[in-house]
Amino acid sequence: MVLENLSTKLKDSLKKITSALFVDKRLIEDLVKDLQRSLLAADVDVQLVFDLTNKIKERALEEKPPKTISQKEFLIKIVYEELVDLLGKEKSEIKIERKKPFKIMMVGLFGSGKTTHISKLAKYYSKRNFKIATVGLDVHRPAAPEQLLQLSKQINIPCFINTEEKDPIKIYKQFEEEYNNYDILIVDTAGRDALSDDLIQEIKTLKSTIQPDESILVISADIGQAAKAQAEAFQKSCNVSSIIVSKMDGTAKAGGALTAAASTGAKVKFLGVGEKPDDLESYIPERFVSRLLGMGDLETLLEKAKEAISEEDAKDLGKKFLKGEFNLIDLYEQMEAMKKMGPISKVMEMIPGMSQMKLPKDALQVQEDKLKKWRIAMDSMSKKELEAPDEVLDGERIARISKGSGLNSGEIRDLLKQYKTVKKMMKMMKGGSPDKLMKKLKLPGM
Amino acid sequence: MFNFLKDKLKDAVDKVGEKIKKEEEPIEDTPIVKEKVKEKKEEVKKEFEKEKLHEEIEDKGFLKQIKEKVTTKKISEEKFEDLFQDLELALLENNVAVEVIDKIKSDLKNDLVDNPLSRKNIEEQIKTSLNKSISSLFGNFPDILDKINKKPFVICFVGINGSGKTTNLAKVTNYLQKNKKSCVLAAADTFRAASIEQLQIHADKLDVKLIKHTYGSDPAAVAFDAIKYAKANDIDVVLIDTSGRLHSNENLMAELKKITRVADPDLTIFVGEAITGNDAVEQAKTFNEQIGLDGIILSKQDIDEKGGAAISISYITKLPILFIGVGQELDDLEQFNKDKILQQLGLE
Repeated sequence: MVLENLSTKLKDSLKKITSALFVDKRLIEDLVKDLQRSLLAADVDVQLVFDLTNKIKERALEEKPPKTISQKEFLIKIVYEELVDLLGKEKSEIKIERKKPFKIMMVGLFGSGKTTHISKLAKYYSKRNFKIATVGLDVHRPAAPEQLLQLSKQINIPCFINTEEKDPIKIYKQFEEEYNNYDILIVDTAGRDALSDDLIQEIKTLKSTIQPDESILVISADIGQAAKAQAEAFQKSCNVSSIIVSKMDGTAKAGGALTAAASTGAKVKFLGVGEKPDDLESYIPERFVSRLLGMGDLETLLEKAKEAISEEDAKDLGKKFLKGEFNLIDLYEQMEAMKKMGPISKVMEMIPGMSQMKLPKDALQVQEDKLKKWRIAMDSMSKKELEAPDEVLDGERIARISKGSGLNSGEIRDLLKQYKTVKKMMKMMKGGSPDKLMKKLKLPGM
Repeated sequence: MFNFLKDKLKDAVDKVGEKIKKEEEPIEDTPIVKEKVKEKKEEVKKEFEKEKLHEEIEDKGFLKQIKEKVTTKKISEEKFEDLFQDLELALLENNVAVEVIDKIKSDLKNDLVDNPLSRKNIEEQIKTSLNKSISSLFGNFPDILDKINKKPFVICFVGINGSGKTTNLAKVTNYLQKNKKSCVLAAADTFRAASIEQLQIHADKLDVKLIKHTYGSDPAAVAFDAIKYAKANDIDVVLIDTSGRLHSNENLMAELKKITRVADPDLTIFVGEAITGNDAVEQAKTFNEQIGLDGIILSKQDIDEKGGAAISISYITKLPILFIGVGQELDDLEQFNKDKILQQLGLE
C-alpha cells in the first residue's frame, strides 16, 4: 500500500496527542521527535525536517488555540498545516495555453521514468480533447526513441523520431513544420545527471532551441538525500516549472522527491502510480497530507470515478436505482467501472475512515480475485439470465454456467448472493438523491 | 566519491570527541582523589562500592582499579544518546537508511557504553568502533570471475524500474568478454516498450548472440531458450535481463519467481541505485526474501558521492557488492573495494 509505513508512524504520533491528558511541553517535544524520525525515514531533506519541526514547536508553544477548538485539536491542526506547507501548499495545475503547439519538455535523471510519463501525460491530455504529438530526443540511451514510438502507438498518438541522427537539435528541427498541427507537443530528452557539466550544456542548448512553455522534471519516489541537489541543479539549467514524482506505487515514501520541489519553487503536479498509461494522479498537497494522516481522500476517489464512469452512464444507473430496477448487467458495469479506478486496495485507501481500518492485504486480494471470477461467470450467462436473474436462474442453469465458466456452482451462488445484497442496498437508498456518484461506488462485497 | 561523507563523519567524530572532553573537565580533581586513596584506602573502597563497581573490585588488583578510575571514563547510556546525535545526523545527511543507522548505533553502544575508555584517545576509539561497525556491514567481495564454476553459468539481473539493469548487464558482458568468457544474452524483459531493441543494440555492439521472443511472451521461456542455446554452442555465461518491477507488486514478483525457478540462475544480481534513500532497505529486503539474491551492483554511483545506499543495502542483504556503475559507457564499471571506501570515509 502506498506510503503505508510513513502514514502508520504519523498516525501513531497523532494518536499520542489525542490520548494524552493535556498538552504540555513534553508532549510537544515527543511529537517533534516522532515527526523528525518519520520524516527522515521518508527521505525528506535533513535541513527541511529540522526547519519544519522547529516551526511546529514554536507555534505549538506560542500560539493560543481559538476558543472553539481544544488544544489537542489545535496541535493536530498545526501539524497538518505545516505538513501541507512542506509538501507544496496548494494544488497547482499546468495551464495549457491555446497556442499551437504548447511545448512541454521532460527532463530528469537516468531511469526516473521520463518516457513512461510522456505516454501518461499524452493520454491524460488527449482524454481532455487536446491533440498531442511526442518527439524523441534521447539520442544517448539505446532504443530510447523506439520506446517512445511504441508507447505513443499504444495510445494512438503521433511520434516524431529519427533513429539515425545523433544530434537532438537536428532531429527537433527536422520535424518543425509538423508541430503546428498539434495543441501539445511533448519532448523526451536523455536522462542526465544534473551535476554533470557536458550533459547540462546539452540540455541548455536544447532548451534554447525548443523554447518550452513548460519544463517538467521527473523524479523517482525512492530518491534519497540527493534529491535536493539534483532538483536545484535541474532548476538552474532548465528552469523547471513542474515536477512529476514517479514510482509512487512502491514502498518509497517520496519525502525527498516531494520536498525537493520546495527548494526549487517548482510545484509537484502529478504522481505516477503504476506502469500503465492511466496510472497518473493529480497531486494535491492537502489531500496527500490527509491521506498520510489517515483522514481519507474522497476528492481523488471522486475524480477517478468521474473518469471511469461517464456522466450519462451515471444518470442512467441513477434512474434505475430509483425505480428499483437493478440486474446483473448493472452489477457487471459497476464492476467494470471499479476496475477502471484501479485495484481495490488503492480505492480503499482513499475512502475516509477506511484507511484507518486495518484491512489485511490478503483480504483485499481475495476480494479482487472474487471480482475477476464473477466477471467470468457473468460472461457465461445468457442475456435473459443477466437481465432477470431472480426469475430464471435455477439449479440447472447454474450448473450450466458453472460448466461454461469453469467455476464451481458455489462461486456462482456467491455472485448471486452478492447481487441480491447490492440490490437490497439500492432499494434502501431509493429515498436519497440518485445522481450522487458515491452511491454507484458502493463496493460490491464490502 | 565518498568525500562528502568523509568530511561529515570527520566533523561528527571531532564533535563527539570535543563533547566528551568538555564533559570530563569537572573530574579534573582526580589527583586529589589519588592522594586520599593513598591515605585512606578503606574509605575509598567504600566509595567504590557506592559507585557499584563491585565486580571490577573483585576481579582486578586494587592498584589497577585506582589507576583505571583516574585515567578512564565511562559513557553512560544517556550520555551516549546525546553524543550519537551528531553522528546520526551526519549519517542521515549521507543517505544512510534510518534502520541501518539504528544498527550502527547499537554496535557503537555495545562498544562504548559502560566500557572504560582511555581519556587520551577517545576520538581514536570512537573511530575504531565506527570502523568496526561499518566494515562489518560489508561482506567479502569476490571477483565475479572466481564465481564462474560451471558451464553454462547463468546470471540473472533483477531490480526495480529504471535502476539500470540492461545497461549494467551490458557492462558485465563487456567485462566477461575481456576476460575471455563467451556470453549469450536473454531478453527476458518482454514487457517494457523497446526493451528488446535496447538490448539488441548492446548485443550488436558487444558482438554477442541475443535470444529474444516477442513482447508479451513468457520471460521464463526466453531464459530457458538462452540456456539451451548456450549448452548447444558451448558458451560460458548466460546473462538474463528481466523487466523492472516494484518489489511491492506481488504479481510481478511471482513472475520473477517463475523465471528464477525455470532458469535456476547460479548468480542473481540485484541492480540498485546509489541515489536511493531509505527505500533501498525495503527494496533489497523484499527481492532477497522473494527470490534470493547473490550479489549487488550499485548503479549511478557517479551521480551522488554520498555512500549511504551502499551501506544500507549491504547491511540489509549481507551480500557482496560486485560492481559499482559509474557512467553510461560499457567500461564504466568498477570493482567495489571495501578498504577503499573505509579509507575514503576517513576510517582507516
